[in-house]
Amino acid sequence: MNGQSTHVLLIEDNPGDADLVRLRLVQANSAVDVSCFNRLSDGLASIKEKSPSVILLDLNLPDCQGAETFRRVLEKAPDVPVVILSGQDDEALAVKALHQGVQDYLVKGAISSSGLERAMRYAVERQALLRSLEMSRKQQLEFKNQFLSHVSHELRTPLTCIHQFVSILFDGLAGEVSAEQRDHLKTILKSVNQLGAMVRDLLEASRAESGKIRIEPRCVAVGDLIRQAVTMMQLAAQEKEVGLEVGVDTRIPFVHGDPGRVLEVLINLIENGIKFTPPGGAVTVQACLVQTDPDFVYVSVADTGCGISPEARALIFERLYQDPSAVDNNRKGLGLGLFIAKELVGLHGGRIWVASEQGNGSTFSFTLPLYSLAKLLRPVITYQECLRDDLVLVKVVLRPLSKQVRASWKETCQHCLEILQRCVYLDKDLVLPPMTTHGAEETFLVVASTDLERAKIMMGRIREQLGRVPDLNGTGELEVSASAVRLPDGAGRSLEEQVQEVAGAVTEMIHSVV
Amino acid sequence: MKSHADTLCVNFALENDKMANSKIMIVDDDPDLRQALRLRLRANKYETVNAVDGYSAIAMAYKERPDLIILDLGLPAGDGFVVLDRLQKDDKLSAIPVIVLTARDPQANERRVLRAGAAAFFQKPADNAELLDVIRASLNRAGTGTVLPS
Repeated sequence: MNGQSTHVLLIEDNPGDADLVRLRLVQANSAVDVSCFNRLSDGLASIKEKSPSVILLDLNLPDCQGAETFRRVLEKAPDVPVVILSGQDDEALAVKALHQGVQDYLVKGAISSSGLERAMRYAVERQALLRSLEMSRKQQLEFKNQFLSHVSHELRTPLTCIHQFVSILFDGLAGEVSAEQRDHLKTILKSVNQLGAMVRDLLEASRAESGKIRIEPRCVAVGDLIRQAVTMMQLAAQEKEVGLEVGVDTRIPFVHGDPGRVLEVLINLIENGIKFTPPGGAVTVQACLVQTDPDFVYVSVADTGCGISPEARALIFERLYQDPSAVDNNRKGLGLGLFIAKELVGLHGGRIWVASEQGNGSTFSFTLPLYSLAKLLRPVITYQECLRDDLVLVKVVLRPLSKQVRASWKETCQHCLEILQRCVYLDKDLVLPPMTTHGAEETFLVVASTDLERAKIMMGRIREQLGRVPDLNGTGELEVSASAVRLPDGAGRSLEEQVQEVAGAVTEMIHSVV
Repeated sequence: MKSHADTLCVNFALENDKMANSKIMIVDDDPDLRQALRLRLRANKYETVNAVDGYSAIAMAYKERPDLIILDLGLPAGDGFVVLDRLQKDDKLSAIPVIVLTARDPQANERRVLRAGAAAFFQKPADNAELLDVIRASLNRAGTGTVLPS
């Protein structure tokens, strides 16, 4: 308090007690200025204006009692030190209060002037100390992130150098290489790639920890992602003579996910599965719906490997954890993969877990939220609580003209999507969120409440507007087509059922056109 | 482009031949990486020229008029973004496709680089086959305005 005028906020409903406290404070330190409220709500309301240096709080107020009282004060003013002045000597409550962030718990009958003054002074000091600790913790976290980001950048340059020159040797660009030499070079390349993956994980994990991973969810066919991941991992599985199988029901609805990130999770789990499965075993990737949890798709990666002990299961998704009993001929890695997978699944609103029996394989499962087409479609395909008479699905395909186009094409597609949204009637038509794409081709779908004849007008508008996009002009081509959506027979069925059925029909059409 | 299939094939071959002599400028401050990239590109029948910093990149682009530029981001004397900006603002150089090849993080840089006018973003170490594919596609698009039949 540094001898300056101290502002004390006293929240106390008993006028006698309030006067006594005021008297004691003035006796101890004449520079003190006290404002007193007898209701908690009034006291809290005054905080913003008065910004007190300390709050003295009774726990038995007309509008709030007990632990709830200090909980509300701490919530409202987390930075102001709070000292409780209670009529009861309740040690359990006192400890609870301190744990939640209260600075001191004094019993009214036992306070002297100098004792109260000192308690307040120490409360202020302790609070300041805590705050500076918190600040430096944050600074250290920030420093660690910056450091990791810097390190992973700096590691990449020599890594690139090794990768480049080894691949030059491997590809025979610097003279002929014997079969044995090629084998050795291949081993180096493999190790370099492992190192590269570790450097990436290091940065990714530190980002996950500080909540800096971004995801861009779309409407995704999770079966496609699974097949893609399995194709990418097939070679690694073959090399180890581990079977890699897919079991995906074609009727699996779309999920709401970032395709790149979901693929990352899948690859991580499949990679682990292959790693811990002995030759002759198998890794199976499945996706299914679970009746008790209808809003999610369940994806699982099962292996026939060594299994995971119960102790390890509890810790396996923690950062840096590695199962000490895991039998593995390969190097161990950083122990970040499952931690990153957990964070990524969490960002999607799903959860991840493992079931395993030691010696009997493990099954890692995660959930992804369903993309509810019915919810999206309902407002545009119904009118005055009835299904509309005609619905058309319009398909707009943007196709790059050359085979290899990278991300500037993505920007063009995004721009086209924005234009497309301006080509439709918001209350009658719906531009579906972008689908996962195969290669660079981008397909946008519009559900339009109109018949095929009138849909032609919309299609003309789309062709005209998108035809003007300069980037598309030179580098891509545009294809617009339409087909009618088969509508259910409404007789005797609720609107909800009909909407569900239309959503089902549209989903089927999407599967067949994308 | 003519529609007859045979003509397409002939065009395709001609295109390839012409591309084979394309000149690529490598902008990187690390001499070893420049050398590695030069070896790789020469093996694919590209001519190469080098620049070691942002300033000489612009000067060299003027002098050599490369068909494509491979650009690092962390450079002395004007980083990759400065180079991109100056290339874009120069009528004589703005048509040259630029492929950014950097150790920097894609999450923080990819979008920014593409907005600044680059044709593609690769993080080091990049996959050689993929990089060569994108070089080929970018040269194709920029070169004569004709497009590879796929």
